[in-house]
Amino acid sequence: MPGRLSDSGMFIIPTPPDSVRTSDSGNSLIPYSPEVRDPVIYNLHHGLKPPISRLSISWSRGNCLRVSFFRVDSTETDTSYVEGEVGGKVVEVKLNVEDGEIGDAERRRIAYGSVAPYAHLQGQKNTVSALSKMSMSSSSYYVEWWQHVIEYSKEINSLLGNPEPPPSSLIEDPKTVLKVVEEPTCLKAAWELMEIFYADKRPQAWLPERLVDWLRDFDSLLTDTEATVHSKLVNLQKEIVNLQVVEDDFNYWEGISSALAVGWLDIVVKLLRLHGSYQLDQLGDRETENGLVEAVAVLVTKMPRLRSESSDRRLGECFETRPEFMKAWEKWRGQVAKLESSAYWVQCDHRQTRESLRKVLQIMLGNVNSLITSACHWMELFIAKFLYVRPFTTGLEGMYSLAKKCMELKPASSTQRLMGLILGILEENTEVVLAECSKSFGPWMVAHVMELLTAGNNQAEMLLHEERHNLGGISIEELHRLVYAQVLSSHALTWQIAPVYLISCPKQGLGMLEILLYKQPMQHNHTLLKNLEICRLYELSGISSNLMKIAGVYHWKHGRKGSGVFWLQQAQDEARLNRIAQELFDFVGKSISDDSFKQWEGLIELLGNETRTAGGLEFLHKYRDFKKSLQQVKGGNVTDVAQQAVESLIMIMKNPSTPQRFWLPLMHDSLKLLTWPERPLLNVSQTNLLLNKLQELSIAKLCPDYCETDLPSQALSSVRLALATNLGRAILEE
Amino acid sequence: MEKSLLTLEKGTNCSSWNYCNQRLATGSTQGSLTIFDSPDPDSSSFTCTSKFRAHEASIVKVVWVPPEYGDAVACICGDGTVSIWEEVVQDGQSLKWNLCNRFESNSSQVLDLQFGLSSTSLKMVTACSNGHVRVYELLDLLDLKKWQLQAEFQNVTDSVPISGKPSCLSASISWNPQRGESQPSSFVLGFNSDMPQFNSSKVWEFDEAHQRWLPVAELALPGDTGDQVYSVAWAQNIGRPYEVVAVGSSKGIAIWHLGLNPDTDGRLSVEKVALLSGHEGEVWEMEWDMGGMTLATAGSDGVVRLWQSNLNGVWHEQATLETASA
Repeated sequence: MPGRLSDSGMFIIPTPPDSVRTSDSGNSLIPYSPEVRDPVIYNLHHGLKPPISRLSISWSRGNCLRVSFFRVDSTETDTSYVEGEVGGKVVEVKLNVEDGEIGDAERRRIAYGSVAPYAHLQGQKNTVSALSKMSMSSSSYYVEWWQHVIEYSKEINSLLGNPEPPPSSLIEDPKTVLKVVEEPTCLKAAWELMEIFYADKRPQAWLPERLVDWLRDFDSLLTDTEATVHSKLVNLQKEIVNLQVVEDDFNYWEGISSALAVGWLDIVVKLLRLHGSYQLDQLGDRETENGLVEAVAVLVTKMPRLRSESSDRRLGECFETRPEFMKAWEKWRGQVAKLESSAYWVQCDHRQTRESLRKVLQIMLGNVNSLITSACHWMELFIAKFLYVRPFTTGLEGMYSLAKKCMELKPASSTQRLMGLILGILEENTEVVLAECSKSFGPWMVAHVMELLTAGNNQAEMLLHEERHNLGGISIEELHRLVYAQVLSSHALTWQIAPVYLISCPKQGLGMLEILLYKQPMQHNHTLLKNLEICRLYELSGISSNLMKIAGVYHWKHGRKGSGVFWLQQAQDEARLNRIAQELFDFVGKSISDDSFKQWEGLIELLGNETRTAGGLEFLHKYRDFKKSLQQVKGGNVTDVAQQAVESLIMIMKNPSTPQRFWLPLMHDSLKLLTWPERPLLNVSQTNLLLNKLQELSIAKLCPDYCETDLPSQALSSVRLALATNLGRAILEE
Repeated sequence: MEKSLLTLEKGTNCSSWNYCNQRLATGSTQGSLTIFDSPDPDSSSFTCTSKFRAHEASIVKVVWVPPEYGDAVACICGDGTVSIWEEVVQDGQSLKWNLCNRFESNSSQVLDLQFGLSSTSLKMVTACSNGHVRVYELLDLLDLKKWQLQAEFQNVTDSVPISGKPSCLSASISWNPQRGESQPSSFVLGFNSDMPQFNSSKVWEFDEAHQRWLPVAELALPGDTGDQVYSVAWAQNIGRPYEVVAVGSSKGIAIWHLGLNPDTDGRLSVEKVALLSGHEGEVWEMEWDMGGMTLATAGSDGVVRLWQSNLNGVWHEQATLETASA
């Protein structure tokens, strides 16, 4: 990894590690253990002057680590303190950052785009497994299943860009042999490779041709430093525009041979038709030469290919089955050989045309030396051998040794990340494939490619689905989903899609989802609502009530009492609501004066909506009603209204949930009712009830835990006087 | 990839992020507490929103109270006292940090403090310089002023109290992060002291039936019980059939597996699965990531290291974060 500039302009240079540190246990017996890799080294530049006296760490979202650096020197005294001087720094480090091939925004686009196909496939998997438990035979399951997987794979693939050139049209410039297309990514190349080998269950015989197509799309990625057929053709394309007589040019013939070696027939034919002998003024003089060029071009066009006809519009004659193909192949080879030994060659005057065309024929005849000269990279040679030496007859088993041989013939000086993956695939080693995917293409790739790896491959399925004690009882598949979910959790814009992956983790997904949800800032309503929606979707009622509790407490303590109570009620947090009711009693008891009534009226309204939450709240609700009618009484001297107020007073006083300390304030507030001028509003028994309460209060006053109200000292006696008067009038009345 | 988030004032001594990583509290050698906030949940720009003098002496550690109990921090002071500060808005006034409680003791200083959630209330454990552990309980769910000392005991496994008074330099506490209502509260605690019995990390569990704390496991091999412990960290358990606890001692960082079910004596089975060496000197801080799979450690060598287990359960150093000055 070369040094690069970070977002903040600080320079990060990963340096080679000095030593490997591992634990002392673990002489593992499992042979497929990926070896312990050297630690990745990050150099953090905090920009502080030494000495750094202390550092502190804290995990942030997902796999972001926050590190604080402090410059405090213990010998320092207060006098050296200078306002504004830098004493520390806090930096955030994003771990497991993938390479720079794909930008952050693009990566997020891919992340969002892959959610739907992934979730869809998981849904289908559940359906299929439910069905297969009932009746379906495993073979029909297999057949159906890979079709779902290939559909999924194609959808994911389409997210990764589209390097396919547009179909060739007739009006294009004849000198454009190689069209400039969008630069393909290694990620797409890797995905397609996985699709070809694991998901695509079409006849195995077509596999080599699919590799030919793959190479055509991604040849430019094989190496950064050395020549490829692609780079050769790019150079030729630049040159050719200025060439008058192409057939005199060495590179022209080189380009033809190389393109032919890797099977890019349309390019070969196009190049051949640029040959000078096709020009009208030349035709007369160079008839034989032109005939030979055209004969080769026709043979190229007619080359038999073992592939599905529908799949492509590229040149060559397609045959779907091996016997048909072999028959055509023999015939075609015969024609090539016949042309090779034809007598016309001596009549061809243009030496370079003659010699180069015969070289081209040698490639078609499978001459190994010609192939080696024409191919640049070992992978190209590998493909060339498929095409001309062992025309599509090799199975997967022979591929690995063939690749090894090609590598020996064309050693690559630098290792490219795709090569490790290709070798792992050809070796049929699932562990290597997985390790390469993880190392080179990151958690997104591994989490999604797992579906391809396990599609109908029993050995891989066993390996990836086996529950391992070392991993805390989860499978490798689940581990990689968790790792990817953690990566998604690292960013404010992607954490919301992590639940989709966590929910497909049978053992530990919910546990991680819970932690993820608890780490969201609950004081923001939109975050809270989003969290609650996720809880609702996945039926996590316990978590949602805890989240609402956190929000409720936050609002309650930050002066938004209404929101606080609302969320605590939603959370059904009886303990805190009761505690709040107690606090309200204090408040109500203290400020009985009417101007403060408005302050808590709304809150009681809110509390009263759910009477079942607490008995204390029920009282508050009644108290509110009583205060309201009392206010109406104050407004005018209507006896009916006053009578209603008395009824609510009696109801409250009778209710056992009414706290004792409210008795006196309630009666004191009702003095006007007790001394109603028109007629006594309380009958004898009602008056007696209140007098008894008054008596109880007098006794309670002697107890040590009696709670004194802040009413005027004569309140008790004035209430008693009013009650006595009322009693007298009531007796007279009755 | 690193990104600079904040510049701290001179004298800043310690820092702590709240549960959602949106607020940072820092303490200084002058005793002031500074709060930094990020305006919206998706932003990573932080500004100072409050600064006040919390102590006369230097603040050495800041710990956030769990969010179920409000926006509050506990500060451990260089003189061994603890104070709890809470952000509240009272009766139409503007936002303010109020002192809720101050814990002082003539006989000992508080070295570490951690909050733990039990099913019904909030618990606070403090580890003191005399080798004692104190557990406080919040009496009022909505009021951080009202605490009660629930238990006080020595960090030793013997049932008979040890006579003699250790002198402890540092201590480390880590609660079992499990939120499950049914599970008993438990935490692990280790000391760096001059008396070997006190040092080794012990797992303490609350026995609801008898209302007492019991040592249910000791995380040290027989020969290592006297090793000074610098730091302990209990990993999140998102579904493992065992708990994972990291213990940083003078011998290195040990990774322990802890059984979930007690045997007939009430003890939990323990297994030391790895001893990791890498830090030169003390391990200051350790923290597990959200999945409990990666352990981050910071040491007196000024290096942050990340540790992971591979597919075979072999623990190794996965990454090293080296620091370079300007």
